[in-house]
Formats: sequence, C-alpha cells, structure tokens
Amino acid sequence: MKSLSILSLVAGLSFCGSQAAVSADAERGRQIFEKVGCYQCHGFQGQGANTGPKLAPDPLPAEGIAAFIRNSGETLMPNYVEAVLPDADVADIHAYLLTIKKPPSVKDIPLLNQR
Amino acid sequence: MNEKIAVNRRLFLKGATVAGAAAGSGAALVPTETKALTAAGKAMPPSAEMMRAELEKPTPIAASSSEGGRPGSDFMVDVLRALDIEYVATNPASSCRGLHESINNYAMNQKPELLTVMHEEIGGAMAHGYAKVSGKPMGLLFHGTVGMQHATMSLYNAWCDRVPMFVMSGNHLDAAHRIPGVATTHAAQDPLAIVRDFTKWDDQPASLQAAAEAMTRAYKISMTPPYAPVAISLDAHLQEMSYGEGEKLRIPKLSKTAPPAGDSEAVRDLAKMLLEAQNPVIVVDRLTRTPRGMPLLVELAELVGAAVVDQYGRQNFPSRHPLNQTDRARPVVAAADFVLGLEVSDFWGIVNSFNDNPSQKQGTRIKEGTKLATITTRDLYIRANYQDFQRYQGVDLSIAADSEATLPLLIEAVRSALTDSHKTAIGKRREALAKAFDQSRNRLISEAATLGWDETPISTARLSAELWAAIKDHDWALVSRDARLSNWPHRLWNFDKSYQFIGDSGGAGQGYGMGAALGAALAHREHGRLVVNVQGDGDLMYGPGALWTAVHHKIPLLTIMHNNKGYHQEVMHVQRMGNWRNRGIERASIGTKIQNPDVDFATLAKSMGMASFGPVTDPNELGSVLKRAVAMVKAGEPVLVDVVMQPR
Repeated sequence: MKSLSILSLVAGLSFCGSQAAVSADAERGRQIFEKVGCYQCHGFQGQGANTGPKLAPDPLPAEGIAAFIRNSGETLMPNYVEAVLPDADVADIHAYLLTIKKPPSVKDIPLLNQR
Repeated sequence: MNEKIAVNRRLFLKGATVAGAAAGSGAALVPTETKALTAAGKAMPPSAEMMRAELEKPTPIAASSSEGGRPGSDFMVDVLRALDIEYVATNPASSCRGLHESINNYAMNQKPELLTVMHEEIGGAMAHGYAKVSGKPMGLLFHGTVGMQHATMSLYNAWCDRVPMFVMSGNHLDAAHRIPGVATTHAAQDPLAIVRDFTKWDDQPASLQAAAEAMTRAYKISMTPPYAPVAISLDAHLQEMSYGEGEKLRIPKLSKTAPPAGDSEAVRDLAKMLLEAQNPVIVVDRLTRTPRGMPLLVELAELVGAAVVDQYGRQNFPSRHPLNQTDRARPVVAAADFVLGLEVSDFWGIVNSFNDNPSQKQGTRIKEGTKLATITTRDLYIRANYQDFQRYQGVDLSIAADSEATLPLLIEAVRSALTDSHKTAIGKRREALAKAFDQSRNRLISEAATLGWDETPISTARLSAELWAAIKDHDWALVSRDARLSNWPHRLWNFDKSYQFIGDSGGAGQGYGMGAALGAALAHREHGRLVVNVQGDGDLMYGPGALWTAVHHKIPLLTIMHNNKGYHQEVMHVQRMGNWRNRGIERASIGTKIQNPDVDFATLAKSMGMASFGPVTDPNELGSVLKRAVAMVKAGEPVLVDVVMQPR
C-alpha cells in the first residue's frame, strides 16, 4: 500500500537524481545509509518495519527514491533537502539498495512454515 | 533448592559445551553463565544470622509490645489477608517498619509474601504486570515521601493502562512523636498528593479501625471498572502502636462491585446499528478484563460479520481468527460505514489522521456518513490534569459502561434483531474478510518476514520466528510489547488465549518492561507457564535491579534483550527535528544512543546471579541458544539472552 502511494507520488514529481546516479558508489551509500540513520526506520538492509516501508531488494528507480526523499507528501517521513542530504548521497544510497540481495524464498525457510 | 541448582548447572554445562563448539567454529556466541550456577562452591557461605532468617521459623513473641497489647500492624496484616493480597513488593523503609516486621514475624512472610525490589518503580511495574495476569492487585509498601516519589511513574503507567494497584505508604504524621532528622524530612502533611492526579482514591486514616475501612474501600474502588491504582498512607504510629485486648477492631466485609453494564435501550440501538451496517468494524483496545472477554468478542464479531482491529492493549481477539483485520486497520476503517470502539483509549486517532511534520496536517480517515459508537469506562471517570484521555471525538452513540460486562447484553440484543436477510449478508462478509485475512497474512510472511532473514543485526521477524519455534509446544505467554518487534509475534504466533499477552505500559513511561514482566511471570508461575519478555535495552537500564529480584524470588522468565543500542523512538524524533530545521541528521545519535561503551547485558545479568547468553549476533545461532534457555526457564530459573537486533 505504502509502495503504491510512493509510486503515485513519484509519477508527479520532477526528476532530481539521475545526474548523481551516474557515478553512484554502493559502499559509500551503505555508509551514508547508516550514518544519516535511514536504517532507524527502514532497517539496516532496507527491509522495512512498522516505522517505515521496505526499500530493498528491488528498490524504486533512482528517480523515484530521490523524488520521494525530497517530497514525501503526507507520509510520516520527513522531507530531506539538498543541504541535508545531497543528490550525490541519495544516488549512493540507491546504489547500495541495489546491491541488497533477494532473501531466501519463504518455502525454503521452515521456520516460516510452522503452525 | 541445592538439588535444583545442581540440575540447572548440568543443563548449563551441557549448553556451554555446545556453545563452546560453536565458538570454536568461528561463531560469535559467548555463553556467560552465572557465578551462582557455575561456581556455587566458591560463593561466600551465608552467615549464621542469614541462615536463621531464611530457614528457621521465628519463635512467635506473644503480643510483642512493650505496652502488652497487639501491634497495630499485625491487624493491618489481618486486613491484607482478608483482601486476599498474596504479595507485597517493597523497598525497605523506616516509615513502614512496623508493617514490614509484622509481615516477617506475624504473617511469617506467607500471604502476604514480601518481594524485595531495588526501586519503587520496579515494584510498581511488578504490580502492574501481576494484575494483568492474575486479575487482582498486588500490594505495594513504600516510604511515604521519597518512596512515593520514586514510585510515581509506575502508578501513572497503571493509571493509563486501567490496572488495579494497592499502594500502602508510610508516614510520620505526628511531629511530636516522630524521630528527628531523616524521619522528619520524609514526613508530609499530605503524602499522597503527589499521586492524586493518577490514583482513583487515597486516604490517610487516623485510627486502626479507620485503616481497615480505608484499605477495604480502596481495594473495592481499585477493582471496580475502570480499574486504577489506589493509595493508603498508613501512619507509622498506627503501625507501631499496640491496641489492647478489649479494643474491638473489625475488618469490614469486602463488597465487590459488579461492573457497570450499558443502558438496555442504548444497547438495543447499538445492535441495530451493527446489523444495519454493510461494513462494520470493531476496534478494541483494553476490553479483556477476564478470560470471558475474548470469547464474547469472538461471538459478537462472528454474529454480525464485523472486521476486528485489535490495538493490543490486551489480547482481545485471537490473532489467527479470520475476522482479525489488525494488519489491514487503515483500509478497513477507511471502508467502514460503522466503527464501534470498545475500551479504546484514543478513538480520535482511529478515525482521524495527524501528520507529524511541520504542516501538522489533520484529516479524517473515514468516509462521510460513517457512523461511530463507543462503549467505554473512560466516559465514567476522568481527571483533569494529565491528558491521557486523548482528544475528544464526537460519536453517534456513546455508552458509558464496561465493555466486557456489556457484551452479553449486546450479543443478546443482536440475536433478537437478527433476520435471515442479515444472515445472508453477514455470511458473505465473513467470507470476504476471511479471504482478505489469508491474503494479508500470507503476503506478510512470504514477502516481509523473509527480508533480512540471514542478516546481522538480527531481524525482528527472524527473532519472532525462532522464539515461536522454541515456545509453541509449551503453555506460553508473551509479557512485553510487540510493537518494538514490528508486531511479528502477533503475525506469526497463535494467540488464542487472553493470558498470552498483556499489552503495554499504558503511559509509555520507561522503566516498565522488566518489572512488569516479572510481575506477570510471578502470576503465571503457579500455572507452570513458559513466560517470555522481549526487553528494550533503554528500558531495562532504568531499573536493572529487577534482574536481581527475578533471581532472588526464583521467578522463571525468559528475557530476550532487544539490544538495538539506543532509545530508538527518540533517535527518530531528533532526526525529524534536524530535518525540519535543515540542520542535518548526522548528529541525531547524540543523547539517544546507548553505545561507547556498549552495555554487556549478559554480564549485567550474571552479576546479579542470572543465567545469561550473548550477545548473540548470528541469526543462525539463535535457535540453539533459545532452546537451551527455554530448558533452563522450564527448570525454574530466570534467563537472559542478549540479542543484537535491528531497531524494529
């Protein structure tokens, strides 16, 4: 539900991340993700929690993430301005999210199949 | 007792061997068992005085008073027994010495039994958790001024959570007879003023007869819904004075009050509204006071085909019931044409939105024309100062009553008005809701629970799944909030009994968790249940002495440290402010993180004699550690497992 609303919002917003994405650095993105506290609401692997939606694996396109960070609409997430989180950092965060691997399938996790 | 320790030691040594093998293979697990268990022979032997106090029955001293009468505090013990108070938690205090001595030597520390707590707030939290499982208050015996000042937070939590609590505090009212110095510093004209805003009633009786009546009245009031703490100041002189054989003191009969049920006409109107609705939703928070609450709510929801959203103030509704739409709360409330709130603390927040950003935009969550109704004891009793009554929400029908007591009447009224046409629509609705429940649960488990499954820090879903595997074949109970675990226990575990969950603190005052878990575990102990507490790290550090109380009183409890190394909620708040003000977010950890140094919770537990494991950082080692810990808890010990985890 939250992902859908993010997508809807992104569709109506201007692109602001593609230039920085050209030279995105995933390792730096991981460091920023932890340093600025993205993990506080979204988890260290962007897995989501009751405090914030899942970001990875399969993150939104770079443009979508960037647009949402700048203007999160009426969600709980604060808007992050360029002075606080520069475009280059946003691009690196997105690059980090792209590196997060898919989890094992639920059918391969016996603990999630117990009654 | 020694035999029991020996058994547990064998269990530990077996576990330690396995853990040692794991460590040898590069695993991060560090088992840290207690000195008491592993090195009992090296411990200092108890003194002869201690042995006598613990093991020997003291010789009763007849009348035990220089005046030759009977101590006033012995009579107070008689009153406590008449009220069926089984435990009194205390931190020793001179203004309570008379009653303390009477419990030790007159009651022989049996009904009531004293529980030693290292902070009054821990004692209050114990009483809080105990009441939610046992359904009755624990006694608390605190110093009048400084003790009550320590205790205030725990009373406020209980007040907000509608929990009964029976507080007794000492005082030295008569300046002519009080000991100079400290006793005078601790005396007060109105010692319970400090808690009057969040207690239902208090008194400071001036005679033993008045004390008996005040204590009995206090108990009765505390146990009349809405439940709440009460407090009695028992003057030290009254405790310590003697009364003669000829003085006729009487313990009044305890008249338990039947809970208030809803007005019959209003209940009929409510039944009609439920049956006329196309999409009724029942939102429930603190409905369940007794084991009757859950089956009554199931009966009503099935009868009218209503979606149920459980806010988990208690375990009100089975977690796997197909009408349970808690994980779909927003969409079901948005689609509702009728919303019924049962003992909800914040009804405004259910039907309205509030955005915590600079715009503070507020709006409705419901469709135009949606009817609203409530049944709540909150309409019967409210105080002015503290704002736990939340924002005012107008409704179409408000019934000032206890929901659990009203449900049988409501069910009967629905049955009387139910037609075949209703039944057809209700059947279809139940089918659709059951399908939505299955889809929602399957999606959450197959998509969300798997994320970060093998990662470090350990995910809250992984911990919850591992815990479920470790406890599900036992008679179990979770005695801590699960919102910090992103509600995974309620998504993965099968909660189908009201005692399996007790909700949260009510007032969100930190320092509640470990004490409340201990009190709940104490109440579960006589049933032999396996009790689990997932404990916040910041919360524990308010009162780590609770670990000692667990060991001292042999309260079996599995405590999982949710070690996320911070006051997580506050990290997010400070981060939010930095954003609003465009001043950066990198410094939000200042004043909010519990790092540098990290707290070694396993060693902390060990220092107080509690068996412990951890820190566990590898999710693949968690299962075996939990299995060993559960075996030790089942053998009667409290055990702590420190798990380094995701924030939520």
